[in-house]
Order: sequence, then structure tokens, then C-alpha cells
Amino acid sequence: MSYHDPVYLFLFLPAVLLVYQLTPRKKRWLLLLLAGYLFFWTISGKLVLYLIGTTLFTHYIGLWLELLKKSCAERLEREKSLNADSNKSSEKNRPETGEKAVREEYRKKQRLVLTLGVCVLLGVLGCLKYFNFFARNANLLLEQAGQGSLFQVKNLLLPIGISFYTLQAVGYMADVYWEKIPAQRHLGKLALFLGFFPQIMEGPISMYGQTGEALWKGEDLRGENLSAGSGRILWGLFKKMIVADRLYVLVKAVFEHYQDYSGSIVAFAAIAYTLQLYMEFSGCMDIVIGSGRLFGVRLPENFCRPFASRNAAEFWRRWHITLGAWLKTYVFYPVSVSRLVKKWNRFGKKHLGKYLTRLGATALCLFPVWLCNGLWHGASWNYIFYGMYYFAILLAGAALEPARIRAIRFFHINEKALYWQIPCILKTWVIIFTGELFFRANGLKAGMTMFFSIFRDFRLSVLWDGTLLDFSLDKGDYLVICAGVLIAAGIGIIKERNLLKGKGLQDMRTPVRWAVYYGLILSVLIFGAYGIGYQQVDLIYAGF
Amino acid sequence: MRDFKKNTGKWGRTLLFFLILAVLLGGISRKIAKTAEDQEKWVHYRNKSALLLEKEQKNTIDVMILGDSLSYTSFSPMQMWNEYGIPAFVGGQSGQNIQESYYMLKKAFKNQKPRLVILETNVLFRPQKGASGLTMTLAAAGSYYFPMFTYHDIWKSILTGKEYPEENYKGFQFREVTNPYRGGAYMKETAAKEKISRTVEDYLEKIRSLCRKNQAELVLVSTPSPLNYNYRKYNTLKAYAEQREIPYEDMNLKTQELGIDWEKDSLDGGDHLNLSGAWKVTRFTGKYLHENFSLPDRREEGAYASWIEEGKKYEEKAKEKLEAMWKDDKITGEEVENRRERSLPAYE
Repeated sequence: MSYHDPVYLFLFLPAVLLVYQLTPRKKRWLLLLLAGYLFFWTISGKLVLYLIGTTLFTHYIGLWLELLKKSCAERLEREKSLNADSNKSSEKNRPETGEKAVREEYRKKQRLVLTLGVCVLLGVLGCLKYFNFFARNANLLLEQAGQGSLFQVKNLLLPIGISFYTLQAVGYMADVYWEKIPAQRHLGKLALFLGFFPQIMEGPISMYGQTGEALWKGEDLRGENLSAGSGRILWGLFKKMIVADRLYVLVKAVFEHYQDYSGSIVAFAAIAYTLQLYMEFSGCMDIVIGSGRLFGVRLPENFCRPFASRNAAEFWRRWHITLGAWLKTYVFYPVSVSRLVKKWNRFGKKHLGKYLTRLGATALCLFPVWLCNGLWHGASWNYIFYGMYYFAILLAGAALEPARIRAIRFFHINEKALYWQIPCILKTWVIIFTGELFFRANGLKAGMTMFFSIFRDFRLSVLWDGTLLDFSLDKGDYLVICAGVLIAAGIGIIKERNLLKGKGLQDMRTPVRWAVYYGLILSVLIFGAYGIGYQQVDLIYAGF
Repeated sequence: MRDFKKNTGKWGRTLLFFLILAVLLGGISRKIAKTAEDQEKWVHYRNKSALLLEKEQKNTIDVMILGDSLSYTSFSPMQMWNEYGIPAFVGGQSGQNIQESYYMLKKAFKNQKPRLVILETNVLFRPQKGASGLTMTLAAAGSYYFPMFTYHDIWKSILTGKEYPEENYKGFQFREVTNPYRGGAYMKETAAKEKISRTVEDYLEKIRSLCRKNQAELVLVSTPSPLNYNYRKYNTLKAYAEQREIPYEDMNLKTQELGIDWEKDSLDGGDHLNLSGAWKVTRFTGKYLHENFSLPDRREEGAYASWIEEGKKYEEKAKEKLEAMWKDDKITGEEVENRRERSLPAYE
């Protein structure tokens, strides 16, 4: 079962909604939890035990951290009263010393517990997701060193959504450690946060503070939520089934047989893949967020018109937002206040000057973020390269920022003017398309070959001389793809420029709203890439 | 009271929304189905048989054949007509699943009264685990009640003039390419059995009861295909057929009797039969039906005038093609390519 599967849309989701409404409010969380486990089970079967295990472990770590906090508070109380007594007897004693030691002692303990929790969860993820990658590369090194293979590549089954729920669990533990949230005593609440069925496959990766309590409320189904949620689901289906699933055939043909293509075809395929990925991932997010909304749960947004970005940094604030936010909160910030960065800053201020110190600190903080970003996507060198590609671009952006500001001032450029914004957006597109080429390529070597092949035999005429019709897509398909992209772009522009003054579909009159719904339903049914000549395309990010 | 009124209003609006949607879907379905009927060349190969079945003169089909690609590459209704006067129709489709077989049969019973329903058994071994079976069920039911799901791509032909021209003889098409099977004996005796999915069993039961309701007899047939059949499947089908007293014929155990020559009769290395293989299977089937089921010879009946005409046309073409196929023991090079171009692959 998948979010765009008829079984999910016409059976599972309506059935859960119906039973949800019939269930007493206090027990609704249980229904959502069972629905989540059932959903997980239909995809990964017995591997649902990983999710249950992660939930139990995360819950335990949360409680342990809470217990340590309580013990610490009690010890501090005792220390205070002791110090108060001793202060009375001797004015020379320093009460702060004892309290500080207690705090330090418990902070160490808490840090150890958190480290244990994070290591276990990431260890499971690492073993299942990265063991074979590690084994293959280690064997390669050993073979080159003249020794035989040491590690055996194993057939490991990966539970669906492990990369997503693991990050949520780690985030929860860190939030409890930082005292952003209290530990959740109710196991069911935490289990629902990690196993809410619309989020299981592809996120969005939410923090406990964002959805934990809303999931628990068990609000009644409300007309406005049902209407808004259904609309969002339809829009997601439109993007996935009309555009993304059509482009899949072309993208697969070029990327699987990249040796046969060069020049503009490869460039076109990179653009097509970027569009496919966006339409499919953001479309899936629409279905997911729409599904959540049906139950009155507002899940965090994952996309915000990324193709309107003027630079790579902005792009990553608009693309897969929840992953970016997670990495920023749980990797970037901790690194930026780490001892290493502090030491670097001290060293830099003495020996390197402000510019180089700041650049070095930026590099130190960004490197782990982008390494994690690359690795998170999968155990392959092209994903690591993808992360490092953005690391290099963002670092270069930071390095050139003073020069850019000087140039803008010197030439009196209005940064808000279209003559400046459009080239910036186009430049960002080139960066995005190149990155996605490596992201989709069958390995880093294939990515490199494809990238350099773009500069060979580049002919724009392939776009209209019929070459593109060789990819099992006919004129009608291209027509529909273009129409779908234009509609999506049009809606994006309306939202970006706030042309409706903050009003959405839900604020429109019923006939208009219904017309939009009927239009979406009929578009998907008539122009959707399903049936003969098409195949059901699995969700790309579900594989991560 | 105000709440009641408010809720009634909400439910009324929801009901109206879905009512309008149903009317829209029904209306568009009718329009699309009519367009498909009028413009046969705009309909994809896979859906052509279903369309032609609907266009057949009422109550003229005596044998309805269902199944996946093995059904329409193995049985030639016009040959059966020419040899035994049995009017048959192949409602098989590439990759047809059992749910689609069921709805194809339901469609057939709307206009026809077939006395015999032949189910090519490969369809029973298509895996349908969990949600995939449910998806297939929903898709098949949806397509049956709303033909717009089946013909939804017809807009391509309307907009771009895309056509699917082909000769279709009651669901059968000429496939002249030969790609031998050289894997040797494949029906190796064993006591093991192949599993049939629960959904498939349920739908097989539905097909049986539909046949009973319409006074038609169900026959299970396994056509020769080394890549798709083995003794385990034979054991399963034999046990199933015996238990339910359904006639079952496994031609994979009778390839010698049929005269199958895997050097000449295979379309694609033992997966499907080509025209030559289909000719042999149809000859055997016609005789089998003639001897075991009291099917009348309709060649003298006035209602079948068009069949006689089409039968002659078919015979002429088939003869020419078969002679060409049998003349060359091993055709190579350009001729293979020419024939490949002329011939449809089994999965088109």
C-alpha cells in the first residue's frame, strides 16, 4: 500500500476516518496508532517490530533523561538546604561550588544517556542501511592492499520509513535532553508520534512539539478539515499522476542506459528528473499533509516553491524543509556551539582575521550537516557527493558574499528587480539540475560520465526532431506534462506573489471550490498516467 | 435544533457533491465509451477485444475464452469456426488478472449466452498478495462500471491522431515470428504443488457461480508454455478441478499429441505460441470441444453470415502466413526483422 494507491485512497483512509469518528474521543489515539501499525505492516510485514522497538527504546530513554533531571533537581535542593545550614555556621563557604558539581555530574550522566540513545538508534539505522556500503568499500580497500574480502555483503531488509522515524525519535530525545519538552510518560502518545500513518513512508520529519499533542487530541472530523484535506490530496495526485509518473519512463530510460546518450538528452533528462522528483515528492507531501488535515492534524510543510529560490541556500530552505530544519536543529546548532568551533574561533581571531575565521567556522558547521544530508539519502557515493556538492556551493556562496555585496553596492543593483532576480533564479536552477543529475545517477561514476557527456554532442534540435518520442512518451504525453507543469508553476507564482491576498481555496465560494475539485478529479482520471502503457511508480523518497 | 439543521445542511451538501460527481463520471464514461465504439482504431490493443465483444451480434458466441496473453496467442476462434463451426471469442488481455477475467465474463453475459467458458489457467498463478490484490479488484470493478478508466487515454488519439491499427479476428491476431524454445522437457513429475492466492481462488469461485447462473460450463485449459507451466501447477489445477468437478485439460502434457515443435511454434523462447503453435492448439481444442461438449455446428445458420465471410478472409491469410512459416525451417536475418515488424508482440 502506498499513499497514491487506490486501496489507501478509497478503502484504508475512508475506513479509518469512519471508525475514527465512531470511536470515543479518548480512544481515538489508539485507533490512529493501530491504523499506523496496520499501514506499516501492509508494506514491511514483521519489520513493524523495528518501529515498535524504536518506540519502546525512545520512550525509555526519554523517561531516563527525565528521571535524571528530577534526581538532579532533588540533589540541588538538598545541596541548597545543606549549604544554607553551613552558610549559617560559616560565612566563608562557597555554596555555588557544590551545586555546580552536582549539575555537572548530572549533565554528564544525561549526555551519556542521550549518547546511548542516539547511538543505538543510529546504529540500527546504520547497520541496516549502510552495512553493505561499508562492507563493499572496506573489501575494495582490503583487496587493493592485497588482502582478501573480509566483510560479507548481506541481504538486509529495510523497514519502510526507518530514516524518517529514526530522525523523529532522535529529535525527541534531544528535545527532552535540552528541556525543550518534558519526556512523554504515556507510551501511546509517543508511539503515535512515531507511527502516525500518513507520515510513516516519507515524512515530513516533525518534531514532537509540532505534532505530538495535536495527534493526541482526537478532534472530531470537521467539514472544513475534510474539505481542505481532500483538496490537498487531489492536488498531490494531480502532480504525481499527471506529471511525475509520466516523466518516470523518460528518466528511467536515460539514467539506466546513460552510455547511449549525451548532450542535450542528458541535460533534458536531468531537468526531467528534477521535475519528476519535485512533482512526486511534493505531491506525496500534499497527500500526506491532506491526510493529516482530515483528522485535524496540521503536519509541517516540506516544500515552499523551491524553484523560486535565488540561491542554493534559499533553495534548501524551501526544499525538503523538515529535513533541513532537523539537520539545522540537531547537527548544525550543536556543532556551532561545540568546543571545536569555539577553539577555532579563538585561534582564528588571533591569527587569521574576521573573514577567514568566519569562513572556517561556517565550513566546520556546514560540513557535518551536508555529509549527514548526503548519507541520509542513501548508502552510495553519489549521495555523499550530492551532499558535498551543496557543501561546496554554500561555502563558496559564504566566501563570495562580501564581494557580492560590494558589487551590488558598486553597480547600484536593485536586488528586488526582475532583471536581477531572474538570472539568479536561472543560476539556481542550473545548480539544482546538476545536483539532481548526480542524485539520480546509478552511482558516482555514472553521474560523472553523464555530467561530462552533456558537453558532448549538445544539440537543441533533439527537443523537436522527434528524438524525445523514443522514450515511450508520445506528443500527447509531452503536452500533458507541459500543461501540468504550467498549472503548477502558475499556482506557485500566485502563492509566491500573494496575488490572492492570503486567501486559499477554502475561502472561495462553494461553486468555485467544487469546480476546482471536479476539475482535479477529472484531470487525474482522464490524464493520469495509469492503465495501459504506464506502470505504477513507487514513491521515490519511500526508498530512502 | 440549529445544530441539527446545520449538520443536515452539511450532509446534504456532501451528498450533492458526490451525486454531481457520479453524474459527471457516468456521463463522461458514456461519452468516452461511445467514442471508442465509433473509433475502434483509437482503442489500445489491450482493450480492443473487450470493445469488439460488445459489438458482436447478440447471442452468437458459444465459447468464451478468457485469460492472459497465453489465451490470445493460443486460440484462434476463426480457425475453430472454419473447422468445426464453433463460434468462439477470445476475451483475453495481456497480463489479464482474474478480476479482469471475471468482469470480462460479466460483460460477455450481457449480450451473449456462451455455453462454454474456457479459462486459460496462467491467470490463476499471477501473485496477488495483500494490497496488490485489493488494488486489482478496485481497478477491475472501477473499469467495469466506469469505462472512462479503461479508455481514459483516448484523448491522445483525439488530440494527436494516435491510432492502433490491427487485424483482430475475434480477439486473435497473427503473430508470425519464431523464436525457438530449447530448454528441453519442462513437465518433470513431482508431488509438489504451486500455491494459488486467496483472492484468485475467491474470484475463480465467482466465475464459477457466474457460469452456473448463466447455464454455462467452465473449462480450465493450460496451453503449452515451457516458461509458464510446470508439474507443480498441473498438480494444483488437477486437484482443484477434480474437487469441484470442472473439466481440466493440460496441453503441456500433450505437446507430442498436439504436434508442438518448439523450434517452430514458439513466439518468444517458450513464453507464448506463434501462429503455427496457435494453429496446432486450436485444431486440438476444436476437436476436444467437438467430442466432449455438444456444441452445434453453426455454419449453416443465417445469423452467422458475417462469420462465414470473415472466416474465408482469415483462412486465406492464415494459409499464406503458415505456409511461409513452415516453408523455412530456420528463417534468419532480414526476413526475421520483416516478420517481426509485421507481427505484434504478445504483450502489445
